[in-house]
Amino acid sequence: MIEFKLPDVGEGMHEGEIIQWLIKEGDAVTQDQPIVEVQTDKVNAELTAPITGVVKTILFSAGDTVEVGTTIFTIQEEGELPSKEPASDERDRSQLQPCDEEGGDRLASPWPPEAGRALATPFVRQMAREMKIDLQLVMGTGPAGRIIESDLLQFAQSNSDLREHPVHSNDRILRKREPEKKVNQPTSAETGMEERIRLKGIRKKIAEHMVKSVSTIPHVTHVDELEMEALKELKDQLKAYSEDKEIKLTFLPFFVKAIVIALKEFKTLNASIDETTNEIILKHYYHIGIATNTSEGLIVPVIKHADQKTIFQLADEIRQLATEAREGKLSLEQITGSTFTISNVGPIGGVHATPIINYPEAAILALHKMEPRMVVRDLEGVIRLMMNMSLSFDHRLIDGVTAVQFTNRIKELLENPIRLVVEMR
Amino acid sequence: MVVGEVAVETDVVIIGGGPGGYAAAIRLGQLGKTVVLVERDRLGGVCLNKGCIPSKALIHSAEQFQKLGDLSKMGIKLPQESISMDLNVWQDWKGGIISRLTQGIAHLCEENGVTMVKGHATFLSDDRVGVETDGDFETYKFEQAIIATGSRPFIPSFIEVDGEYILDSTASLQLKQVPESLSIIGGGYIGIELGMAYAKLGTKVTIIEMADRILPQVAGNLVKEVSQHIRKLEMDVLTSARVEKATVVDGQVHLHVHSEKLGSKVIVSEKSLVTIGRVPNTEEIGLNRAGVITGEKGHITVDMECRTNVPSIFAIGDITPGPALAHRAAKQGVVAAEVICGMPSANDSAYVPYVIFSDPQIAGVGITREEAERKGYSVKTGRFPFSANGRALATNEMKGFAEVVVDEKSHILLGMHMVGPDASNLIGEGVLALELAARVEDIALSIHPHPTLSEVWMEAAEAALGHAIHIVNN
Repeated sequence: MIEFKLPDVGEGMHEGEIIQWLIKEGDAVTQDQPIVEVQTDKVNAELTAPITGVVKTILFSAGDTVEVGTTIFTIQEEGELPSKEPASDERDRSQLQPCDEEGGDRLASPWPPEAGRALATPFVRQMAREMKIDLQLVMGTGPAGRIIESDLLQFAQSNSDLREHPVHSNDRILRKREPEKKVNQPTSAETGMEERIRLKGIRKKIAEHMVKSVSTIPHVTHVDELEMEALKELKDQLKAYSEDKEIKLTFLPFFVKAIVIALKEFKTLNASIDETTNEIILKHYYHIGIATNTSEGLIVPVIKHADQKTIFQLADEIRQLATEAREGKLSLEQITGSTFTISNVGPIGGVHATPIINYPEAAILALHKMEPRMVVRDLEGVIRLMMNMSLSFDHRLIDGVTAVQFTNRIKELLENPIRLVVEMR
Repeated sequence: MVVGEVAVETDVVIIGGGPGGYAAAIRLGQLGKTVVLVERDRLGGVCLNKGCIPSKALIHSAEQFQKLGDLSKMGIKLPQESISMDLNVWQDWKGGIISRLTQGIAHLCEENGVTMVKGHATFLSDDRVGVETDGDFETYKFEQAIIATGSRPFIPSFIEVDGEYILDSTASLQLKQVPESLSIIGGGYIGIELGMAYAKLGTKVTIIEMADRILPQVAGNLVKEVSQHIRKLEMDVLTSARVEKATVVDGQVHLHVHSEKLGSKVIVSEKSLVTIGRVPNTEEIGLNRAGVITGEKGHITVDMECRTNVPSIFAIGDITPGPALAHRAAKQGVVAAEVICGMPSANDSAYVPYVIFSDPQIAGVGITREEAERKGYSVKTGRFPFSANGRALATNEMKGFAEVVVDEKSHILLGMHMVGPDASNLIGEGVLALELAARVEDIALSIHPHPTLSEVWMEAAEAALGHAIHIVNN
């Protein structure tokens, strides 16, 4: 009998929601046959049968949220005899766990090695008790899946429920278990006027991601403005042609194109810092993330190899990704791997912003509202269609001058779209 | 309740001053609790006074005695007069060891603020214990209690231990004279240890075991080496045999033994020793008044924190289900003490080593090959004989071997077992390896000092990987 435990199908996910069972108890299944559909933080995944056999028990129903590492169904191998139920103990063991390892028929489960405990050293087991972590839920990254100290710290950090129990692993002697303190309890005057919602799913991921970015990258934001007259004219000229091709043309593909051209010239803006090795990674591929608002929160679908695509192809892909993002249909593949991110908040409004870099990228560009504005040209006040853009960049990698040169280049290409055309490939 | 009774208030009462109880008392003292440790006999319990320690003293002496015969081939010439063993002198030596150890424990308890009380303790309720000392009665009111009353030899109803002819293990260590002949009922580890020791001192030993082999709890391949030596010592072993009656006739013990092979037979010996098993001391301490439940065999079931069904009462050692081993009790004692002080302690290890002071010694930790296969592992083993170890040869101790049991998939060690010289000390490496979730490579790649017996672990690990240096690998 194999107990199928919910695996970590996303990157560092901790729970998943059972969307639907594709089989029922007693069904015979073949290895790799899809068994259950699970939704995690950002993606949906179909989990398949680990072996050929008969599904004995299904332990959760659709709609249940299950923590990683929890058994969700059991499957009996072909030809395996039904395992006998462990004989009920003669002793009264209500709420008692046997201390010895002698008694009790345990189910044979060859992997992971059980030998009566999780694969961890006595010190790590002690640390887990102090941190109130169930070792069964922790993924070991040590040799042969051993759970090591850093796995516990990682687990605690990403599990908000445990935040209120700080760890002092070397300070176990004489430390008494203190009554659990309630953190951030509303004061009496506010009782009933607050609502508490568990930080989970996409919102939790966003929170973790933002903290990681801001606490790692020294952000600087540089703001500039663009004159959009020429680009608008070009877009209008293409209107009929694009409608013929059934493509809804917006400004965004032009921005993607201009950014990619500028990125090729200013390589440190399409780069990352690897903090573990102290190396700068210059990327010679151009995957542009488009920050997209969904009912669940912010998601960043990625246009892969944006430098190799035409304006129309980009327009079409942007529209498609945005739709899929809102419908929650994106795969993990479609939301990872961007090298530079655009946040197009213009349609909603605003003058400028200090966007947070999509870690581990080097910069993010926010595009703001386009509007007629009074500007000075040839010492005369005139009204022009203007737009602001805010570039946040990693000051470890990029100097202020480089950042300004980068936006100047984008500005040059978009204010004179004919230059954009000749630079395109 | 007695009217006008005044109870002495204390944080913790511990009943039983054996290796579990005194360890708990000292740990609680370290953690700042007031502790009353009640012991009805002597501090140190069975282990120190009539078990582990005195039996090891006897085994050691017998071994030294027997080894004298091997000295001539090393060129050592002994005077021709006959060599003898004076158990009277031995008793004094043994007494010295015990009193030194018990004094040490008393001193440690004292230094840690533990109040030691001699007497018989019984629960009066779930927060009171009464202690009777030579007719006086004192009541103690506690926040928590630890029951550590240990176990005693099991004696079947048709046998009467008189301490003179028919002995239990305790009495067998108090003899003043080496008996001519000794019959031992029960071929478990106590029977084998004491039987081999007396055989070495010149006693004609007969062992009667109900199972089809001696040491039935131990893996057969390990026991084989011991059985060979038992034959060499000219001990008689009757297996699948049952003692039906034991009588004393004219200063001789007559054991009526029946087995399918031999039919009925009377074995006559000067003395007889009963080593069938041990029973927990849980009857006379008023457990029902405290509400503590015991199982069928009198054991108290506990959780990983050593709590009984009554949250304020803990139980440790031989009275809890599991092997009756001092090191298990000591670990549980420390855990119970720390849990009482609110620390996140737990007795969470599956790796309780076992040690048998037979000749050669047997020791092991973790699971055997057969157990691993039953659990569904694909198993790899590596074995290395002491006969290929230089140090073993140079000390004339060539019996036995070391074996590692490995999960074939991950190479994580599942068990380490050994029969051979000083196995009891050598198993320490195995305990650490298993607790640290070591892989077989971890042992194979570690430099082991040469020339030592410990090299056999390295070679056994290498053998599991197919490249031991000092044997031909299959």
